[in-house]
Amino acid sequence: MNPLTLSIFIMSLGLGTTITFSSSHWLLAWMGLEINTLAITPLMIKQQHPRAVEATTKYFLTQAAASALLLFASMTNAWMTGQWSILEMENMTAITLITLALALKLGVAPMHFWLPEVLQGLDLKTGLILSTWQKLAPFIILIQMAPALNPNIMISLAIISTLIGGWGGLNQTQLRKILAYSSIAHLGWMIIILHYSPNIAMLNLVLYLVITSTIFLLFNLTNSTTINSISMTTTKNPIISILIMMTLLSLGGLPPLTGFMPKWLILQELAYQELFLVATIMAMTTLLSLFFYLRLTYSTTLTMTPNSMNMMSSWLTKKNLKPIIPLLFPLTTMLLPLTPMLYFSLQ
Amino acid sequence: MTPMHFTFTSAFILSLLGLTIHRTSLLSALLCLEGMMLTLYIALTLWSVENSSSAYLMSPLILLAFSACEACTGLSLLIATTRTHGNNHLQNLNLLQC
Repeated sequence: MNPLTLSIFIMSLGLGTTITFSSSHWLLAWMGLEINTLAITPLMIKQQHPRAVEATTKYFLTQAAASALLLFASMTNAWMTGQWSILEMENMTAITLITLALALKLGVAPMHFWLPEVLQGLDLKTGLILSTWQKLAPFIILIQMAPALNPNIMISLAIISTLIGGWGGLNQTQLRKILAYSSIAHLGWMIIILHYSPNIAMLNLVLYLVITSTIFLLFNLTNSTTINSISMTTTKNPIISILIMMTLLSLGGLPPLTGFMPKWLILQELAYQELFLVATIMAMTTLLSLFFYLRLTYSTTLTMTPNSMNMMSSWLTKKNLKPIIPLLFPLTTMLLPLTPMLYFSLQ
Repeated sequence: MTPMHFTFTSAFILSLLGLTIHRTSLLSALLCLEGMMLTLYIALTLWSVENSSSAYLMSPLILLAFSACEACTGLSLLIATTRTHGNNHLQNLNLLQC
Protein backbone atom coordinates (compact mmCIF):
# COMPACT_ATOMS: atom_id res chain seq x y z
CA MET A 1 0.00 0.00 0.00
CA ASN A 2 1.09 3.52 -0.74
CA PRO A 3 2.82 4.97 2.38
CA LEU A 4 0.82 8.19 2.15
CA THR A 5 -2.48 6.30 2.06
CA LEU A 6 -1.32 4.02 4.86
CA SER A 7 -0.40 6.98 7.05
CA ILE A 8 -3.78 8.61 6.38
CA PHE A 9 -5.61 5.44 7.43
CA ILE A 10 -3.49 4.98 10.54
CA MET A 11 -3.94 8.59 11.56
CA SER A 12 -7.70 8.43 11.13
CA LEU A 13 -7.67 5.21 13.16
CA GLY A 14 -6.06 7.24 15.94
CA LEU A 15 -8.48 10.10 15.35
CA GLY A 16 -11.56 7.91 15.73
CA THR A 17 -10.43 6.50 19.06
CA THR A 18 -9.45 9.97 20.27
CA ILE A 19 -12.86 11.40 19.36
CA THR A 20 -14.60 8.62 21.26
CA PHE A 21 -12.28 9.11 24.25
CA SER A 22 -12.94 12.82 24.51
CA SER A 23 -16.68 12.88 23.88
CA SER A 24 -19.51 12.84 26.36
CA HIS A 25 -22.17 13.18 23.66
CA TRP A 26 -23.59 10.06 22.05
CA LEU A 27 -23.47 11.40 18.50
CA LEU A 28 -19.76 12.25 18.77
CA ALA A 29 -18.97 8.89 20.35
CA TRP A 30 -20.81 7.20 17.48
CA MET A 31 -18.85 9.29 14.97
CA GLY A 32 -15.58 8.13 16.53
CA LEU A 33 -16.63 4.49 16.32
CA GLU A 34 -17.65 4.92 12.67
CA ILE A 35 -14.34 6.57 11.79
CA ASN A 36 -12.56 3.63 13.46
CA THR A 37 -14.51 1.08 11.43
CA LEU A 38 -14.11 2.93 8.15
CA ALA A 39 -10.37 3.45 8.71
CA ILE A 40 -9.48 -0.15 9.49
CA THR A 41 -11.45 -1.62 6.57
CA PRO A 42 -8.82 -0.76 3.89
CA LEU A 43 -6.04 -1.97 6.18
CA MET A 44 -7.78 -5.33 6.53
CA ILE A 45 -8.53 -5.80 2.84
CA LYS A 46 -5.15 -4.71 1.50
CA GLN A 47 -3.94 -8.24 0.69
CA GLN A 48 -6.81 -8.83 -1.79
CA HIS A 49 -6.91 -12.49 -0.80
CA PRO A 50 -10.36 -14.16 -0.66
CA ARG A 51 -9.89 -14.83 3.04
CA ALA A 52 -9.03 -11.18 3.74
CA VAL A 53 -12.03 -9.98 1.70
CA GLU A 54 -14.35 -12.33 3.52
CA ALA A 55 -13.01 -11.30 6.93
CA THR A 56 -13.40 -7.63 6.04
CA THR A 57 -16.98 -8.14 4.88
CA LYS A 58 -17.93 -9.93 8.07
CA TYR A 59 -16.21 -7.32 10.20
CA PHE A 60 -17.89 -4.47 8.34
CA LEU A 61 -21.39 -5.95 8.61
CA THR A 62 -21.15 -6.62 12.34
CA GLN A 63 -19.56 -3.27 13.18
CA ALA A 64 -22.03 -1.29 11.07
CA ALA A 65 -25.00 -3.10 12.61
CA ALA A 66 -23.58 -2.60 16.12
CA SER A 67 -22.99 1.12 15.70
CA ALA A 68 -26.44 1.61 14.15
CA LEU A 69 -27.93 -0.19 17.15
CA LEU A 70 -25.87 2.02 19.49
CA LEU A 71 -27.14 5.18 17.84
CA PHE A 72 -30.71 3.85 17.87
CA ALA A 73 -30.50 3.17 21.61
CA SER A 74 -29.11 6.61 22.35
CA MET A 75 -31.82 8.10 20.11
CA THR A 76 -34.43 6.27 22.18
CA ASN A 77 -32.85 7.72 25.30
CA ALA A 78 -32.95 11.19 23.76
CA TRP A 79 -36.62 10.87 22.80
CA MET A 80 -37.50 9.67 26.29
CA THR A 81 -35.37 11.98 28.42
CA GLY A 82 -34.34 14.74 26.02
CA GLN A 83 -30.59 14.54 26.56
CA TRP A 84 -27.61 13.03 24.81
CA SER A 85 -25.07 12.74 27.60
CA ILE A 86 -23.20 9.44 28.02
CA LEU A 87 -22.71 9.97 31.73
CA GLU A 88 -26.37 10.38 32.69
CA MET A 89 -28.27 7.45 31.23
CA GLU A 90 -31.62 6.69 32.83
CA ASN A 91 -33.73 4.69 30.40
CA MET A 92 -33.27 0.97 31.12
CA THR A 93 -34.18 -0.14 27.58
CA ALA A 94 -31.55 2.16 26.13
CA ILE A 95 -28.90 0.99 28.62
CA THR A 96 -29.56 -2.67 27.82
CA LEU A 97 -29.49 -2.07 24.07
CA ILE A 98 -26.24 -0.08 24.36
CA THR A 99 -24.67 -2.83 26.46
CA LEU A 100 -25.57 -5.40 23.81
CA ALA A 101 -24.36 -3.18 20.95
CA LEU A 102 -21.00 -2.55 22.61
CA ALA A 103 -20.69 -6.25 23.44
CA LEU A 104 -21.22 -6.98 19.73
CA LYS A 105 -18.54 -4.44 18.86
CA LEU A 106 -16.07 -5.90 21.34
CA GLY A 107 -16.89 -9.55 20.67
CA VAL A 108 -18.23 -10.52 24.11
CA ALA A 109 -19.62 -14.02 24.24
CA PRO A 110 -23.14 -14.46 22.93
CA MET A 111 -22.19 -12.03 20.14
CA HIS A 112 -18.68 -13.37 19.60
CA PHE A 113 -19.08 -15.48 16.48
CA TRP A 114 -17.47 -12.98 14.13
CA LEU A 115 -14.25 -12.52 16.09
CA PRO A 116 -12.39 -15.83 15.47
CA GLU A 117 -13.29 -15.86 11.79
CA VAL A 118 -12.31 -12.26 11.21
CA LEU A 119 -9.02 -12.64 13.06
CA GLN A 120 -8.25 -15.82 11.12
CA GLY A 121 -8.53 -13.98 7.82
CA LEU A 122 -6.02 -11.24 8.65
CA ASP A 123 -2.26 -11.11 8.85
CA LEU A 124 -0.70 -10.79 12.28
CA LYS A 125 -0.01 -7.06 12.19
CA THR A 126 -3.59 -6.13 11.28
CA GLY A 127 -4.76 -8.72 13.79
CA LEU A 128 -2.70 -6.89 16.40
CA ILE A 129 -4.49 -3.63 15.59
CA LEU A 130 -7.86 -5.37 15.58
CA SER A 131 -7.45 -7.07 18.92
CA THR A 132 -5.80 -4.18 20.76
CA TRP A 133 -6.53 -0.72 19.40
CA GLN A 134 -10.07 -1.47 18.21
CA LYS A 135 -11.08 -2.64 21.68
CA LEU A 136 -10.26 0.72 23.26
CA ALA A 137 -13.07 2.92 21.94
CA PRO A 138 -16.07 0.68 22.80
CA PHE A 139 -14.56 -0.17 26.16
CA ILE A 140 -14.10 3.49 27.07
CA ILE A 141 -17.81 4.10 26.43
CA LEU A 142 -18.62 1.15 28.68
CA ILE A 143 -16.38 2.57 31.40
CA GLN A 144 -18.00 6.00 31.11
CA MET A 145 -21.46 4.55 31.65
CA ALA A 146 -20.30 1.96 34.21
CA PRO A 147 -22.43 3.12 37.19
CA ALA A 148 -25.62 2.87 35.13
CA LEU A 149 -25.01 -0.63 33.81
CA ASN A 150 -27.20 -3.49 34.93
CA PRO A 151 -25.01 -5.82 37.06
CA ASN A 152 -27.01 -8.96 36.28
CA ILE A 153 -26.57 -8.56 32.53
CA MET A 154 -22.86 -7.86 32.94
CA ILE A 155 -22.31 -10.89 35.17
CA SER A 156 -24.13 -13.24 32.80
CA LEU A 157 -22.28 -11.85 29.76
CA ALA A 158 -18.97 -12.24 31.62
CA ILE A 159 -19.55 -15.81 32.73
CA ILE A 160 -20.66 -16.87 29.25
CA SER A 161 -17.60 -15.10 27.82
CA THR A 162 -15.03 -16.83 29.96
CA LEU A 163 -16.74 -20.17 29.46
CA ILE A 164 -16.98 -19.89 25.68
CA GLY A 165 -13.54 -18.31 25.40
CA GLY A 166 -12.04 -21.29 27.18
CA TRP A 167 -14.19 -23.90 25.53
CA GLY A 168 -13.88 -22.68 21.97
CA GLY A 169 -10.12 -22.50 22.07
CA LEU A 170 -9.70 -26.12 23.10
CA ASN A 171 -10.33 -27.55 19.65
CA GLN A 172 -8.27 -25.07 17.61
CA THR A 173 -4.92 -25.53 15.97
CA GLN A 174 -4.72 -22.08 14.41
CA LEU A 175 -2.90 -19.55 16.58
CA ARG A 176 -5.02 -16.60 15.49
CA LYS A 177 -8.25 -18.38 16.42
CA ILE A 178 -6.74 -19.33 19.78
CA LEU A 179 -5.80 -15.70 20.36
CA ALA A 180 -9.34 -14.64 19.41
CA TYR A 181 -10.82 -17.01 21.98
CA SER A 182 -8.31 -15.80 24.54
CA SER A 183 -9.47 -12.27 23.80
CA ILE A 184 -13.09 -13.33 24.42
CA ALA A 185 -12.13 -14.89 27.77
CA HIS A 186 -10.17 -11.81 28.87
CA LEU A 187 -13.08 -9.53 27.90
CA GLY A 188 -15.23 -11.62 30.22
CA TRP A 189 -12.86 -10.82 33.09
CA MET A 190 -12.93 -7.15 32.20
CA ILE A 191 -16.69 -6.73 32.04
CA ILE A 192 -17.46 -8.67 35.20
CA ILE A 193 -15.72 -6.02 37.30
CA LEU A 194 -16.93 -3.08 35.24
CA HIS A 195 -19.92 -2.20 37.38
CA TYR A 196 -18.17 -2.65 40.73
CA SER A 197 -14.78 -1.11 40.07
CA PRO A 198 -14.17 0.52 36.66
CA ASN A 199 -10.55 1.27 37.61
CA ILE A 200 -9.64 -2.39 37.91
CA ALA A 201 -11.35 -3.02 34.58
CA MET A 202 -9.20 -0.29 33.05
CA LEU A 203 -6.04 -1.79 34.59
CA ASN A 204 -7.02 -5.19 33.23
CA LEU A 205 -7.58 -3.70 29.76
CA VAL A 206 -4.15 -2.03 29.74
CA LEU A 207 -2.35 -5.18 30.89
CA TYR A 208 -4.27 -7.28 28.36
CA LEU A 209 -3.26 -4.87 25.59
CA VAL A 210 0.42 -5.11 26.61
CA ILE A 211 0.47 -8.91 26.82
CA THR A 212 -1.47 -9.38 23.58
CA SER A 213 0.80 -6.96 21.73
CA THR A 214 3.81 -8.93 22.90
CA ILE A 215 2.41 -12.28 21.81
CA PHE A 216 1.27 -10.97 18.41
CA LEU A 217 4.67 -9.35 17.77
CA LEU A 218 6.49 -12.54 18.76
CA PHE A 219 4.32 -14.67 16.47
CA ASN A 220 4.89 -12.13 13.73
CA LEU A 221 8.64 -12.34 14.31
CA THR A 222 8.64 -16.10 13.88
CA ASN A 223 6.01 -16.08 11.09
CA SER A 224 3.97 -18.70 12.88
CA THR A 225 0.23 -19.16 12.44
CA THR A 226 -0.34 -22.76 13.50
CA ILE A 227 0.74 -24.93 16.43
CA ASN A 228 2.92 -26.91 14.03
CA SER A 229 4.82 -23.85 13.00
CA ILE A 230 5.51 -22.59 16.51
CA SER A 231 6.96 -25.97 17.38
CA MET A 232 9.76 -25.11 14.93
CA THR A 233 10.68 -22.02 16.95
CA THR A 234 13.16 -23.81 19.22
CA THR A 235 15.30 -24.88 16.32
CA LYS A 236 15.15 -21.49 14.68
CA ASN A 237 15.66 -19.26 17.68
CA PRO A 238 15.74 -20.70 21.23
CA ILE A 239 15.53 -17.33 22.98
CA ILE A 240 12.36 -16.38 21.12
CA SER A 241 10.80 -19.68 22.16
CA ILE A 242 11.53 -18.85 25.83
CA LEU A 243 9.94 -15.42 25.33
CA ILE A 244 6.85 -17.01 23.75
CA MET A 245 6.57 -19.43 26.66
CA MET A 246 6.73 -16.67 29.30
CA THR A 247 4.25 -14.49 27.42
CA LEU A 248 1.77 -17.36 27.01
CA LEU A 249 1.95 -18.18 30.69
CA SER A 250 1.44 -14.53 31.54
CA LEU A 251 -1.60 -14.47 29.23
CA GLY A 252 -2.93 -17.49 31.09
CA GLY A 253 -2.45 -15.72 34.43
CA LEU A 254 0.09 -17.81 36.28
CA PRO A 255 1.27 -16.19 39.53
CA PRO A 256 4.80 -14.83 39.19
CA LEU A 257 3.92 -13.06 35.94
CA THR A 258 1.95 -9.91 35.16
CA GLY A 259 -1.20 -11.65 33.96
CA PHE A 260 -1.93 -12.82 37.47
CA MET A 261 -2.37 -9.29 38.79
CA PRO A 262 -5.75 -8.40 37.22
CA LYS A 263 -7.21 -11.80 38.04
CA TRP A 264 -6.09 -11.44 41.66
CA LEU A 265 -7.54 -7.94 42.02
CA ILE A 266 -10.81 -8.93 40.32
CA LEU A 267 -11.29 -11.99 42.50
CA GLN A 268 -10.58 -9.88 45.58
CA GLU A 269 -13.10 -7.23 44.52
CA LEU A 270 -15.74 -9.87 43.76
CA ALA A 271 -15.17 -11.32 47.21
CA TYR A 272 -15.65 -7.85 48.73
CA GLN A 273 -18.96 -7.63 46.88
CA GLU A 274 -19.91 -11.03 48.37
CA LEU A 275 -20.23 -12.67 44.96
CA PHE A 276 -18.44 -15.85 46.03
CA LEU A 277 -20.22 -18.17 43.60
CA VAL A 278 -19.47 -15.88 40.65
CA ALA A 279 -15.81 -15.61 41.66
CA THR A 280 -15.54 -19.39 41.89
CA ILE A 281 -17.14 -19.90 38.48
CA MET A 282 -14.83 -17.32 36.90
CA ALA A 283 -11.74 -18.93 38.40
CA MET A 284 -12.87 -22.39 37.30
CA THR A 285 -13.70 -21.42 33.71
CA THR A 286 -10.30 -19.77 33.32
CA LEU A 287 -8.73 -23.19 33.81
CA LEU A 288 -10.12 -24.07 30.37
CA SER A 289 -8.19 -21.16 28.85
CA LEU A 290 -5.11 -22.13 30.83
CA PHE A 291 -5.25 -25.58 29.25
CA PHE A 292 -4.75 -24.35 25.71
CA TYR A 293 -2.09 -21.85 26.73
CA LEU A 294 -0.24 -24.72 28.39
CA ARG A 295 -0.66 -26.82 25.26
CA LEU A 296 0.91 -24.05 23.19
CA THR A 297 3.72 -23.78 25.75
CA TYR A 298 4.26 -27.52 25.59
CA SER A 299 4.62 -27.59 21.82
CA THR A 300 6.78 -24.46 21.83
CA THR A 301 9.40 -25.26 24.42
CA LEU A 302 8.96 -28.60 26.11
CA THR A 303 9.04 -30.82 23.05
CA MET A 304 12.48 -31.64 21.72
CA THR A 305 13.70 -30.58 18.32
CA PRO A 306 11.56 -32.37 15.77
CA ASN A 307 13.48 -34.75 13.59
CA SER A 308 10.62 -35.83 11.37
CA MET A 309 7.91 -33.23 11.24
CA ASN A 310 4.86 -33.68 9.09
CA MET A 311 5.35 -30.28 7.56
CA MET A 312 7.77 -28.59 5.25
CA SER A 313 10.27 -26.54 7.18
CA SER A 314 10.01 -22.89 6.36
CA TRP A 315 12.85 -20.71 5.18
CA LEU A 316 15.22 -19.53 7.86
CA THR A 317 14.98 -15.87 7.08
CA LYS A 318 16.87 -13.54 9.35
CA LYS A 319 14.52 -11.08 10.98
CA ASN A 320 15.75 -8.34 13.23
CA LEU A 321 14.23 -7.99 16.65
CA LYS A 322 12.21 -4.79 16.69
CA PRO A 323 12.94 -2.57 19.72
CA ILE A 324 9.29 -2.69 20.74
CA ILE A 325 9.52 -6.32 21.90
CA PRO A 326 12.31 -5.73 24.48
CA LEU A 327 10.23 -2.80 25.65
CA LEU A 328 7.01 -4.77 26.05
CA PHE A 329 8.42 -8.05 27.37
CA PRO A 330 9.44 -6.81 30.88
CA LEU A 331 5.99 -5.28 31.22
CA THR A 332 4.49 -8.61 30.19
CA THR A 333 6.36 -10.66 32.76
CA MET A 334 7.67 -8.61 35.66
CA LEU A 335 4.91 -6.20 36.64
CA LEU A 336 3.48 -8.25 39.51
CA PRO A 337 5.68 -6.68 42.27
CA LEU A 338 4.20 -3.32 41.33
CA THR A 339 0.68 -4.47 42.26
CA PRO A 340 0.42 -2.44 45.54
CA MET A 341 1.48 0.74 43.77
CA LEU A 342 -0.94 0.27 40.86
CA TYR A 343 -3.79 -0.87 43.11
CA PHE A 344 -3.54 1.95 45.64
CA SER A 345 -3.05 4.59 43.00
CA LEU A 346 -6.39 3.46 41.56
CA GLN A 347 -8.34 3.93 44.77
CA MET B 1 -44.40 6.65 23.36
CA THR B 2 -45.63 9.09 20.72
CA PRO B 3 -46.80 7.83 17.28
CA MET B 4 -43.64 9.21 15.65
CA HIS B 5 -41.46 7.39 18.13
CA PHE B 6 -43.40 4.19 17.52
CA THR B 7 -43.06 4.59 13.75
CA PHE B 8 -39.31 4.96 13.62
CA THR B 9 -38.76 2.32 16.31
CA SER B 10 -40.74 -0.26 14.36
CA ALA B 11 -39.03 0.73 11.10
CA PHE B 12 -35.61 0.29 12.70
CA ILE B 13 -36.54 -3.04 14.26
CA LEU B 14 -37.90 -4.31 10.93
CA SER B 15 -34.64 -3.37 9.17
CA LEU B 16 -32.57 -4.99 11.91
CA LEU B 17 -34.63 -8.18 11.68
CA GLY B 18 -34.16 -8.11 7.92
CA LEU B 19 -30.40 -7.88 8.39
CA THR B 20 -30.23 -10.67 10.94
CA ILE B 21 -32.81 -13.16 9.69
CA HIS B 22 -32.96 -12.77 5.92
CA ARG B 23 -29.41 -13.85 5.08
CA THR B 24 -29.33 -14.50 1.36
CA SER B 25 -27.34 -11.93 -0.53
CA LEU B 26 -24.91 -9.25 0.56
CA LEU B 27 -26.79 -6.58 -1.37
CA SER B 28 -29.96 -7.09 0.68
CA ALA B 29 -27.90 -6.91 3.87
CA LEU B 30 -26.46 -3.58 2.73
CA LEU B 31 -29.94 -2.34 1.86
CA CYS B 32 -31.13 -3.22 5.35
CA LEU B 33 -28.16 -1.33 6.83
CA GLU B 34 -29.04 1.66 4.71
CA GLY B 35 -32.65 1.40 5.86
CA MET B 36 -31.47 1.46 9.47
CA MET B 37 -29.35 4.54 8.88
CA LEU B 38 -32.15 6.39 7.06
CA THR B 39 -34.53 5.61 9.91
CA LEU B 40 -32.02 7.09 12.30
CA TYR B 41 -31.70 10.15 10.07
CA ILE B 42 -35.46 10.71 10.12
CA ALA B 43 -35.56 10.17 13.88
CA LEU B 44 -32.76 12.66 14.51
CA THR B 45 -34.42 15.28 12.27
CA LEU B 46 -37.77 14.81 13.99
CA TRP B 47 -36.11 15.06 17.39
CA SER B 48 -34.51 18.38 16.63
CA VAL B 49 -37.76 19.69 15.11
CA GLU B 50 -39.85 18.45 18.05
CA ASN B 51 -37.57 20.03 20.62
CA SER B 52 -37.15 23.09 18.37
CA SER B 53 -33.44 23.13 19.13
CA SER B 54 -31.75 24.85 16.25
CA ALA B 55 -28.33 23.84 17.54
CA TYR B 56 -29.07 20.25 16.59
CA LEU B 57 -30.26 20.96 13.05
CA MET B 58 -26.76 20.29 11.73
CA SER B 59 -26.45 16.83 13.28
CA PRO B 60 -28.78 14.93 10.84
CA LEU B 61 -26.54 16.07 8.00
CA ILE B 62 -23.46 14.74 9.80
CA LEU B 63 -25.27 11.44 10.31
CA LEU B 64 -26.26 11.35 6.64
CA ALA B 65 -22.67 12.01 5.57
CA PHE B 66 -21.37 9.16 7.72
CA SER B 67 -24.05 6.77 6.50
CA ALA B 68 -23.16 7.68 2.91
CA CYS B 69 -19.51 6.83 3.64
CA GLU B 70 -20.62 3.57 5.21
CA ALA B 71 -22.81 2.65 2.23
CA CYS B 72 -19.92 3.46 -0.09
CA THR B 73 -17.60 1.15 1.88
CA GLY B 74 -20.26 -1.53 1.82
CA LEU B 75 -20.66 -1.31 -1.94
CA SER B 76 -16.89 -1.53 -2.44
CA LEU B 77 -16.87 -4.63 -0.26
CA LEU B 78 -19.71 -5.99 -2.40
CA ILE B 79 -17.55 -5.55 -5.50
CA ALA B 80 -14.52 -7.10 -3.80
CA THR B 81 -16.57 -10.08 -2.64
CA THR B 82 -18.02 -10.58 -6.11
CA ARG B 83 -14.53 -10.51 -7.63
CA THR B 84 -13.06 -13.02 -5.19
CA HIS B 85 -15.99 -15.34 -4.49
CA GLY B 86 -17.84 -15.32 -7.81
CA ASN B 87 -21.18 -14.06 -6.50
CA ASN B 88 -22.51 -12.16 -3.56
CA HIS B 89 -24.42 -14.83 -1.69
CA LEU B 90 -23.74 -14.85 2.01
CA GLN B 91 -23.54 -18.64 2.06
CA ASN B 92 -20.38 -18.42 -0.01
CA LEU B 93 -18.53 -16.61 2.76
CA ASN B 94 -17.43 -19.84 4.42
CA LEU B 95 -13.66 -19.98 3.92
CA LEU B 96 -12.80 -19.12 7.50
CA GLN B 97 -15.04 -21.47 9.42
CA CYS B 98 -13.56 -24.47 11.16
